[in-house]
Amino acid sequence: MSQRPEILKTVTVGLLAGWLLSFVLAPTLLVVGLSLLSRSPAGFAGGPVTLDNYRRLADPIYLHVFAESFATAFIATLLCLLLGYPFAYGLARARPGLRPLLLTLVIVPFWTSSLVRIYAIRGLLAAKGALNNLLLAAGLIDQPVRLLYTQTAEIVGLVHVLLPFMILPLYASLEKLDPRLLEAARDLGAGPFRRFRHVVLPLTLPGVVAGCLLVFLPALGLFYVGDVLGGSRHLLVGNLLKDQFLEAQDWPFGAAASLVLIGLLLAFLALYAYAAKRIAPDDG
Amino acid sequence: MKNTARFEPGKGIAAAIPPGRLYGVLIYAFLYLPMAVLILGSFNASKYGIGWQGFTLDWYESLANDAEILTAARNSLAVAALSASLATVVGTLGAVGLHRYRFRGRKFLMGLLFVTLMSPDIVMAVSLLVLFIGLHLELGLFTLWLAHTGFCLPFVTLTVHARLQGFDNALVEAARDLGAGEWTAIRRVVLPLALPAIAAGWLMSFTLSLDDAVVSFFVTGPDFEVLPLRIYSMVRLGVKPEVNALASLLFAVSLSFVVLAQWLLHKDRH
Amino acid sequence: MLVAFLVPVAAGQRELHFFNWSDYLPPAVLENFTRETGIQVHYATYDSNEAMYAKVKLLEGGGYDLVVPSTYMVDRMRKQGLLRPLDRSLLPHFGNLDPHHLDLPFDPENRYSVPYLWGMTGIGVNAERIDPASLHDWADLWQPRFRRALLLPNDMREVFHMAMRVLGLPVNSTDPAHIDAAYRKLRELMPNVRLFSSDAPQILFITGEVDAGMIWNGVAYLAARETPAIRFVQPPGGPLLWMDNLAILRNATNPDEAHALIDYLLRPEVARLISETVGYATPNAAAIAILPPEIRNDPLIYPPADVLERGEYQVDLGEAIGLYTEYWERLKAGQ
Repeated sequence: MSQRPEILKTVTVGLLAGWLLSFVLAPTLLVVGLSLLSRSPAGFAGGPVTLDNYRRLADPIYLHVFAESFATAFIATLLCLLLGYPFAYGLARARPGLRPLLLTLVIVPFWTSSLVRIYAIRGLLAAKGALNNLLLAAGLIDQPVRLLYTQTAEIVGLVHVLLPFMILPLYASLEKLDPRLLEAARDLGAGPFRRFRHVVLPLTLPGVVAGCLLVFLPALGLFYVGDVLGGSRHLLVGNLLKDQFLEAQDWPFGAAASLVLIGLLLAFLALYAYAAKRIAPDDG
Repeated sequence: MKNTARFEPGKGIAAAIPPGRLYGVLIYAFLYLPMAVLILGSFNASKYGIGWQGFTLDWYESLANDAEILTAARNSLAVAALSASLATVVGTLGAVGLHRYRFRGRKFLMGLLFVTLMSPDIVMAVSLLVLFIGLHLELGLFTLWLAHTGFCLPFVTLTVHARLQGFDNALVEAARDLGAGEWTAIRRVVLPLALPAIAAGWLMSFTLSLDDAVVSFFVTGPDFEVLPLRIYSMVRLGVKPEVNALASLLFAVSLSFVVLAQWLLHKDRH
Repeated sequence: MLVAFLVPVAAGQRELHFFNWSDYLPPAVLENFTRETGIQVHYATYDSNEAMYAKVKLLEGGGYDLVVPSTYMVDRMRKQGLLRPLDRSLLPHFGNLDPHHLDLPFDPENRYSVPYLWGMTGIGVNAERIDPASLHDWADLWQPRFRRALLLPNDMREVFHMAMRVLGLPVNSTDPAHIDAAYRKLRELMPNVRLFSSDAPQILFITGEVDAGMIWNGVAYLAARETPAIRFVQPPGGPLLWMDNLAILRNATNPDEAHALIDYLLRPEVARLISETVGYATPNAAAIAILPPEIRNDPLIYPPADVLERGEYQVDLGEAIGLYTEYWERLKAGQ
């Protein structure tokens, strides 16, 4: 055999590996390093090595921002799960001929600009927007309701933007579900709840974890949701990061805050790996 | 819970709308109504979107005459085309490598791809900003190109890889047995098989890059504004009817690209 | 084909990067300037001095050529060496400026900055929903009936300036006890705050999102043009004054073009057009002379001299800015 395969292997794998190491791994390590320095008026950061930035994360101000942002993201994630699960289930059971169309209708919002879609939600919720006009016309209210610039508006926006990110992984795992398993469970006398609890849910758990990951983390980070729908009053972790990097000029502290998100990401991925391993131990 | 989610009417066609189907329709309405209202608003003559004041194309016209927007649109299209192309080249080659070869660190590489795919935009934005400033790169076209290629790469790689996994390796082996070199086998057998996925990967990357606001917000400089950032600053300024027009156009481009990509990926699966 | 995308301007074309407040310049001005001089202007906007400052620092003082900091920010930026001394010989129209607005402590002899527009911060009220007579002083904002109803500018200095006034403290105080008192007072105001925004707040009034708040006089002027019920209330006592100034960055790559634009903006008819369109007062005496009398004599745009004398500008606070920032973050985080 000639040396061609070796060259091809080096080129194909090397390019990809080189890219990921330079633009994913290296910058992440830089952020880790940065988080251990302190802010310097001259440049962006300076020595000595310190854990102060992590200590500052525990400061009541920031704890409060994190707590509020986590609460918002958690509610949005839960709503996505509750709304998305039955929907994905129905999708997986829809007539095969209809399914590609129905699926594409979920995929389109998945790929379109979340900023544009957040802006669309703002138009809907505005004091003189579509929803208020509708409610006024229907005689349900006699004064426009102020819906914008509240935590509720933020949650509605997040659910609107992120729901497809929950539906798609759920659908992927529900589609693989073998209907014969359910039949078997029914034959064994299991009621609908027990069939769900003991058959469907465990088998779709990886989809649930993946969906929650894809909703929860962006829900913490989408800073323009805080600006456009929250009126800069209900800050998300994303706003904190944006402020530290682009306004307050405290890069080391911003780096520490962004590592919290990376930590969460890794925790979710570990959970996913665990859930996936439980249902298919051989796949690894 | 499960029964309410059935889409097909089942036996009870007598019931006007089965609850499952109604639920599905409501979810689609939730996903699409805001955009529909926005698109409708882009044709509304009312300057502040207060009530319907007649049909107009004025906002589209004022977009076409706005030099800043046209520059941003040109910049966005350039970044999207460059990033999608680079991501497609690196991603396709990478997918072929991952498919054809077994090597040490393969699992690690797959893991890294997966983490990149899953990581929230803001995390990527922050780390790339730190990298670029650390390297003293001037923020602008070049940094945007690198950053956008970065977040498109896992999509292309995994899409192409999934496509290759779906095919029988025997074809490639047969080609090799017939005396084709490795490169010839890849070029004549593997790449043509993967072509729909490659094209879909390019289209999806283009869309992803065109729509990105978070990463661009961090890694571009004053010389090089892109459309989503233009939209972001217009949106912060409150309801400007031109934003509705611009957002509608962007949505239309994304919509057609995504539908095309989906068609490419699924056309021969039925 | 791609190459065509990548050549933004023809080689040799003169250009300029202008970073200005949002809604602060009619687009026609820049178009005319480009038509006349051939200099292409790249225009970007910001909503706070702090955001502009951070962006300038991030780009190492380059990137942009021309910025428009407020008084205290000119002071800080010139002390940090971020600004470039102006070449008066390139500014023949400098003499149009009213000397009252020149040689102020934040930039002695105007070595680094040229006044652009100035104005007052007061209370905006939609008279259809709230009786302006019942909301005429800053302290009225604290009334419980405004729960979750008010708009505040996304501007730390302005909000603290107002709080210091309400407490009768020096508005540019660097005394930690004063800053802490202002913070405590503002914390009581927070339940009434609906949102912070400095980007085109007039639209929030016009579209009915807010009925009252702390706004700049030009914002009220723009809002009233669409909805006459929107009023600007000037609380008793001296006005909260501010002035924004054109300044060239130390590392500007196009200083000559920046000077050319500054001088163009100093022309009476240009300054007049800007002032008329954005609703703020121009420091340009030659422009004021040709303004329509109803604007020139509007006390909410050009207050009488005795009112003006009681007003105060914000100055650089030096190290104390850190404490302000910390309290500001706390307020916005709901602490």
